[in-house]
Amino acid sequence: MTRTGARAPIGVALVFAAMLPAFALHVSIGATAIPLATVAEAFAAYDPTAFDHVVIREHRAPRALFAATVGAALAVAGALMQGVTRNPLADPGLLGLLAGAAFAVSLAVGAFDLLDPAWTPAVAAGGALAGAALVGSIAAAAPGGATPITLILAGAAVTAFLGALTTLALLLDEATFQALRVWLTGSLSAGDRDVFLRALPWFGAGFVVAFALARQVTALALGEEAAIGVGVQVLRLRAFTLLAVVALTAAAVAVAGPVGFVGLVVPHAARLLFGSDYRRIVPGSAALGGLGLLLIDVAARRALAPIEISTGIVTALIGAPVFVWLIRARL
Amino acid sequence: MTLRGAGGRLALALPIGALVALGLLAAALAVICVASLATGSYPLRLAEVAAALAGAAPDEAATTVVREFRLPRVLVGLVAGALLGVSGAVLQIVTRNPLTDPSLVGVSQGASLAVVTLIVAMPGADAALRPVAAFAAGLAVAAVIQSIAARRTEGATMRFILTGIGVAAFIAALTTALLTYGAMQDALAAIGWLSGSLHAVGWGEAKALTLSALALAPVAAWAARPLAALRLGPEVAIGLGVRVRPARVALITLSTACAAAAVAAVGPIGFVGLVAPHLARRIARAGVGLHLALAAATGVLLVSSADLAGRAAFAPVQIPAGIVTAALGAPIFALLILRPRRR
Amino acid sequence: MGDFIEARRPASAMPAGVAGNRTPRLRVRGLSAGYGGRTVLHDVDFDAAPGRVTVLVGPNGCGKSTLLKAMARVLRPSAGEVLLDGASLHDLPTRRVARALALLPQGPTPPEGLTARELVAQGRFPHQTLFRQWSAEDARAVDEAMRAADVAKFADRPIAALSGGERQRCWIAMVLAQETELLLLDEPTTFLDLKGQIDVMRLLRRIARTEGRTLVAVLHELNLAAAFADEIVMMRDGRVRAAGAPEDVMTPPVLHDVFGLDAQMLRDPETGRPICVPRTGPETPA
Repeated sequence: MTRTGARAPIGVALVFAAMLPAFALHVSIGATAIPLATVAEAFAAYDPTAFDHVVIREHRAPRALFAATVGAALAVAGALMQGVTRNPLADPGLLGLLAGAAFAVSLAVGAFDLLDPAWTPAVAAGGALAGAALVGSIAAAAPGGATPITLILAGAAVTAFLGALTTLALLLDEATFQALRVWLTGSLSAGDRDVFLRALPWFGAGFVVAFALARQVTALALGEEAAIGVGVQVLRLRAFTLLAVVALTAAAVAVAGPVGFVGLVVPHAARLLFGSDYRRIVPGSAALGGLGLLLIDVAARRALAPIEISTGIVTALIGAPVFVWLIRARL
Repeated sequence: MTLRGAGGRLALALPIGALVALGLLAAALAVICVASLATGSYPLRLAEVAAALAGAAPDEAATTVVREFRLPRVLVGLVAGALLGVSGAVLQIVTRNPLTDPSLVGVSQGASLAVVTLIVAMPGADAALRPVAAFAAGLAVAAVIQSIAARRTEGATMRFILTGIGVAAFIAALTTALLTYGAMQDALAAIGWLSGSLHAVGWGEAKALTLSALALAPVAAWAARPLAALRLGPEVAIGLGVRVRPARVALITLSTACAAAAVAAVGPIGFVGLVAPHLARRIARAGVGLHLALAAATGVLLVSSADLAGRAAFAPVQIPAGIVTAALGAPIFALLILRPRRR
Repeated sequence: MGDFIEARRPASAMPAGVAGNRTPRLRVRGLSAGYGGRTVLHDVDFDAAPGRVTVLVGPNGCGKSTLLKAMARVLRPSAGEVLLDGASLHDLPTRRVARALALLPQGPTPPEGLTARELVAQGRFPHQTLFRQWSAEDARAVDEAMRAADVAKFADRPIAALSGGERQRCWIAMVLAQETELLLLDEPTTFLDLKGQIDVMRLLRRIARTEGRTLVAVLHELNLAAAFADEIVMMRDGRVRAAGAPEDVMTPPVLHDVFGLDAQMLRDPETGRPICVPRTGPETPA
């Protein structure tokens, strides 16, 4: 085992630990800064009559929780995709899952007035699955098969197509536009506690499956034949990872809208820090993704204060250059 | 057929099939233009349109609608479509990549960002600045993609387009960030514009766009020759006597200028530059010069019919032409990915 | 078989009879070149023997393709110069060079849908202008080039539908239509099966013989070079190690020096050309 490998569990634990101060920072910063002591107090000795306590418990802490969960979910989804497709450029956004989920939710809200949060994760999952299937089958049918290049081109085609249909749905119904305008740019400010609660089982199922499959994903990442050689049932593994990826992506989209590039960038960072074993990469991605999105959301809220930028815009501004760099380095 | 004269100094190749195709495209266009003049929230019969055009309509409103609103809109659709078709055709030949399109590699997004910046950050700025800013930004994007993608020669064409997708995502995020400044109404309008719409154009845009197109037309005519050699690959082109590097720079600049002029007027209408050259190739076999003309005509047809369809399909809601072209163009893009590529 | 087709000589070419006595039009003096700071060629001198087929050979990375690319002005030399009729090639107007010197790069890819005739016609590029696109002279040159390369029978078929050998002959017809005295060819036989290789090499030899043109080709296959070349230039580590007629340079010591190959030389009983047979060592029982 390499040195990175040996130290990885400590590293992952450290990153998880770092989420606590990041969480506190996230909560204390805002339109009015709240001292960290008050933040601690709001949890240790909640006083429903204290304004700051209410702000923290009702608004800021939930948002921080959304950020950490969504970041972890998208990062783990990206890590699984990269491992199973053996494609360093895989990401729920690039391969059409986010566009599929966003379109499905827009359609549900616009055409069927389906605003009940109970349905949002399921609708998003259906859309994400359809998007993934569409991209996957186009790329698989392309000459040369599902290479990183054909997958990204197919993803771009599907994203453009679904994006046009989403815009169409919005233009046809101004009420939908009002309801989804911010959410569609990938914003945690639109996060809704009910939706989050409904999405929790999806998050949970996704994480459980991801952690359980990590060992086999490592084997598959070495090559399909090698994986079969060590007894991995490749088809079953692919099916389960797809389900986990769809569940995680759908839950994340339901809460925060389409937040791109987290699933692309974070697994690469995790690989740099913790080595190439997915038993480290999956938890490492979860930790880094949660921490990363907490900090990015802080930046999104404070960079142009009092104006708030959508989190998805900041992740794209960071992630797109990383994507370009990956193309240069890995293709 | 070959036309020769002036003691051998003039010798032009004239493929009949392509010229006939060009004529048929023009006829189809005429029909769409007339339909476009007659269609809208104030429907007119053909006789009324003709009368309004001639300035002899009994109805004052009909004259205003046709001459002040629909005529510039039709004209802008024609010119923008031609520019986008030429832009895509030139870019596809220069990069030797049939999947390239100014709206796919970020050139259109760069131009849009420049225009949105002008609108949001400098609301008082002269609208005449828009094409200039759009051109400068589009050119900057093209230069960035080129320099990133062209380091290694192998697979450079695919890297160009993938890099472009990344750059496009980055710029789109910047544009969206800028829009958060805007009020709800402005955001709605901006989203309409960013979807590529002919809704708001008037004679000002029509005139500016036509002037740009007239300036670019001789450049496009010049471009046919170096493109004919470059489509065989850079080394063959060198052997045939093309100065490849300056020619590439000039041609990509031309492509960018065409796209930027169109974007400045009507917003980033996507996939026209991708689809038009392919359709043109299906319609008729032609040398590079006529191929550019056919791609222009096909682009015109796409933009004009997309605008007409967008207006008619969900009336009274106007669907931007760019939404129509994206909904049609993206599946065609997918089909092109599926096509076998020769090595 | 087609070896004696009468073809009109390009205007620039001199009568074949005096080919051997002509002064070389293309000379390389003290040439160094490389890619992005890495020098591949070191101080190379080379003359293209007029009216003859010269073949550059050597192990991978020896600089043979680099030399050809520098002579074709695809690469700019870092030192030394390439002279065309005594003038520095890289300073001459590129179109004028293209009327004297044609290049067929390695593994060129045709654009989709192009027919054989359209491809060959592209060779007329340096002779055309915006207003003089297709003169009677162009039509004649293309017809002749297609006849010489024996591709006239699939003139109107798309290039993509042809076999590798046929396609490569179309590309050769394209550079022939350019009507230059000098032809540079980078690995014209790669990706071809054996028959395709022989067809292409016979065509190249015929072009030199009947039209008095000067050919310089890079080849990978040593015995193909020995069978068809008038001159062989052997390169290693970016330098010329031996040059001359095949029977003079294809010797065991030279092969050992250039390729590090232990080989014995045989002779083709029909042509008398040398054939290199690498020693494979005795078979040891398993």
